[in-house]
Formats: sequence, C-alpha cells, structure tokens
Amino acid sequence: MKIDPRTRIILVFLISSAAVVIKELIPLLFLLLLTLILCRMFSVHLSGSIKRLRKLLYFFIILALIQSIFTPGEETLIAAGGLKILTTEGLEAGISIIIRMSVIILSALIIASAPAMDVVYGLIAMKLPYEIAFMVLLSIKFLPLFREEFADSIIAVQLAGADLVKIPLRQKLSLYTYVLTPSVIKALNRARLISLSMEARGFRIYPDRTSYCKLSMSRMDYVTITAASAAVLLIISYNFSIIG
Amino acid sequence: MSFYTINSLTFSYAGTDKLFQNISFDIEANQHIGLVGPNGCGKTTLVKLMLGILRPQGGEIYLEGNNIKDISLSDVGKKVGYVFQNPDKQLFCPTVLEQMRFSFTYGGCGSAEAINDNTDYYLKAFDLMQYKSLSPMKLSRGEKQRLALASVLSRDVRFLILDEPSTGLDILRKKQLENCLMELKQEGKGYMIISHEAKFLDRYVDRLLKLHAEGVEYA
Repeated sequence: MKIDPRTRIILVFLISSAAVVIKELIPLLFLLLLTLILCRMFSVHLSGSIKRLRKLLYFFIILALIQSIFTPGEETLIAAGGLKILTTEGLEAGISIIIRMSVIILSALIIASAPAMDVVYGLIAMKLPYEIAFMVLLSIKFLPLFREEFADSIIAVQLAGADLVKIPLRQKLSLYTYVLTPSVIKALNRARLISLSMEARGFRIYPDRTSYCKLSMSRMDYVTITAASAAVLLIISYNFSIIG
Repeated sequence: MSFYTINSLTFSYAGTDKLFQNISFDIEANQHIGLVGPNGCGKTTLVKLMLGILRPQGGEIYLEGNNIKDISLSDVGKKVGYVFQNPDKQLFCPTVLEQMRFSFTYGGCGSAEAINDNTDYYLKAFDLMQYKSLSPMKLSRGEKQRLALASVLSRDVRFLILDEPSTGLDILRKKQLENCLMELKQEGKGYMIISHEAKFLDRYVDRLLKLHAEGVEYA
C-alpha cells in the first residue's frame, strides 16, 4: 500500500519529539517498540541499516558510559574509595540515552527509506517553500556523498601502498588529515554540481512550480497518523505518571 | 604460477542480476592485456575485484598464488599499480609534489635521492613540473589524469592496471603515455588497459580480453 510521504514526515516528527520529551526508561522502551512496529509497517530494511550503523556502536557506548558516570544517584553500583563511579540512576541514564538515540535514528529511517523526491513533494505539500524542500534533499544527500568520497580516498591511500594498520599513529593522523579535507571539498563540489545542473534546468526561475505529482492522503494515512499519535500520547502520559 | 589467477569468479551488485558467473582466466606478470567490452559489462568491477576492493560472491582470485581476500589493499598496491577511471578518486594530497611522493613516504620504499629523481622524471614526462606546488584539485581533467598516471607509473610495481588511461589526454600527452607504456614493456613489466580505443589497444597490448554477458574470453 502506498503511504503518503507527509504521513512519514508527521510520524518522524512525532516520534523524535517524544524521544526528547520522555525521560523514563520504560516509556522509552515502549516508544522504541512503537518505532520498530512503524519501521516494519513502512518496510524499512532494518537488518541492513543496523549493519551500517554498527560503526556508531562505540560512539553510543562511550556516550552511555559518560552519561552513567556523571549522573548523580543514591544507590551505588561501583565505587573507588569514597568516589561513586556508577549508580543505578547513572546506569539507567546510560541505557536511556542508547534507547533515545536508537529511536531517533530508526525513526529517521522511516523518511530515509522513502524515495528522496517523495520526501521533497511531501515537504512542498506541507507548505514548505520548494527551495527549502530541495535544500533538505541536498543536505540529506550530502552525508552519503561525503562517506563515498572519504571511502574512495581511503582506498586510494591504501592502493598507493600505505598500510593503515601498521603505520605509526602520528603518520596515521596526518594521513587522515590529508584525506579529510579533499573529501569534504569533493563532496561539496559534487553538491555544487547538482545545484548547478538543477539551475541549468530552470530551478527557481519562477516563484512557483507545477508538479505532475499530486499527493493525496488516503484513509490508511489518517488511520496510521491517528493511531500513532494516540500511542505516543499514551506513552508520554505514562512517562509523566511515573515522574508523578 | 601465474601472476593473477581468476577462478570461477561470480559477482553481482546487491539487488541486480549476476554481472559475472563462473569466469576464469590467468594473467602473467609480463603480459600486456587490453580489457574490452560494452558499457556496463563490468570491466571496472572486474578490476576492483582483482584489486580486492570488492569481494566476489563466488570463486577466488589469486595474486602470486595468494588469495586476494587474505592480502591487505596496501600489499596489493605494492605489487599492482592502479590508475582509477576517474582521477578525482585517486588524488587526495594537498600538492602535486606530495601526491607524487606519497607512495614513497607512506609505502616506505626507495632512497631520498631515488625518490627525487623518479618524481622529477615523471613530472617532466607528463609536463607537470610547473604545477608541483599546486593543489591537484585545481588542475584540469586532463592534468589530473596525467598526475594520476605519473604517480602510479613512478612506483616500482610489477603490474599496472590502467582504467581508460587515455581519457582526457590531448594528442601530445597521449604520445607521452604511449612512450611510458613502451618503457614498461622494455622493463618487462606487465599491464592491463581498459579502453574503448581499438587503435590504441592494437599498438600497445598483446592480447585482448573480451568481457561480455556470457563470460570472458581471450581474443
């Protein structure tokens, strides 16, 4: 069934806002469950996306550790001398941040799994100026472009004989600096070329655009938005009932 | 033992039909081969598999008897020089001179004197001496192609893979490339060239490897 891109945008807005508002662990888990159900409904290729996000795992763990250590609490789990290193509240805060980040990333996948142009049409239909909608499209495309450029440069570096595992740390750092700057410039150049080619085809020549794509919300869209909103509201009210 | 042994190679990109199925061939270290085939038949993909950039779904690739999947990219790079189809992908140093010296600095080979001589020789051979303190990104398409060629040719590798090396070169610079290919032949080094220019290949390769939907064959 074809779901309107506006439905995806509204749901992502709802879920990511809720992820910021909800502070308690159990409601966050419910929100994660809801996000997973929606991902399944929108046919998000979860296993592939999670594989790609595996590289962020260390970042999540470090973030959770910092959060755990610096959150004050009463019930001490690990202490060194008189110093509390980890408390129950700290551990909860660490786990919460991992769940919150997962919810935000998974909800973003609901938009990312839609064709990029559908997202643009959705944003325009939501009365966003079309220039800004296309800017959103380009910014969504920038990160994969940068990743591709960086990966290509790393391959070129290795094929030129540099062993990234064996070279000393100082050389490795200077090498990454070598690669990072041109990768950013190349990605920016590619984004600039895309914008030039869009302008060469008459982009922004008139204040408005006529589109062949006419979006219309079906009953399924309304049902999905209503059900998801109700679920999010329930989870938020449960969160506040716990806080008391 | 052949320099390259490709054994029942099978590969496809995710969500597409098989690009190759069970293709096999050998390449000797001193062979001069032209890889030809229609657009999109997978010539560059085959090269990326041969370099270990991509992993095959089936079959094996052996470089000097070692399975390519067990060799690091840098070790492949020390034996095989590769000129990318798009020179922008290959150039990453802040200046032309640093790009030329990169392999010697980070690959750890050659004396300082030999490095300077080698670098100067290829910078002159490809008319790049006047650009040596410029950023490679400021060069034109043809100049970038010359720099990519010069930086790979200056390295002491056993075999070269050149992906459309004459693209963007004017007649004079193509002649310079041809001179370099002649030198490589005289030094007994092998190469594989991907090109659509039949006349260019006729002059500088000994055998043509034809890649098509049904497989691969030596012509």
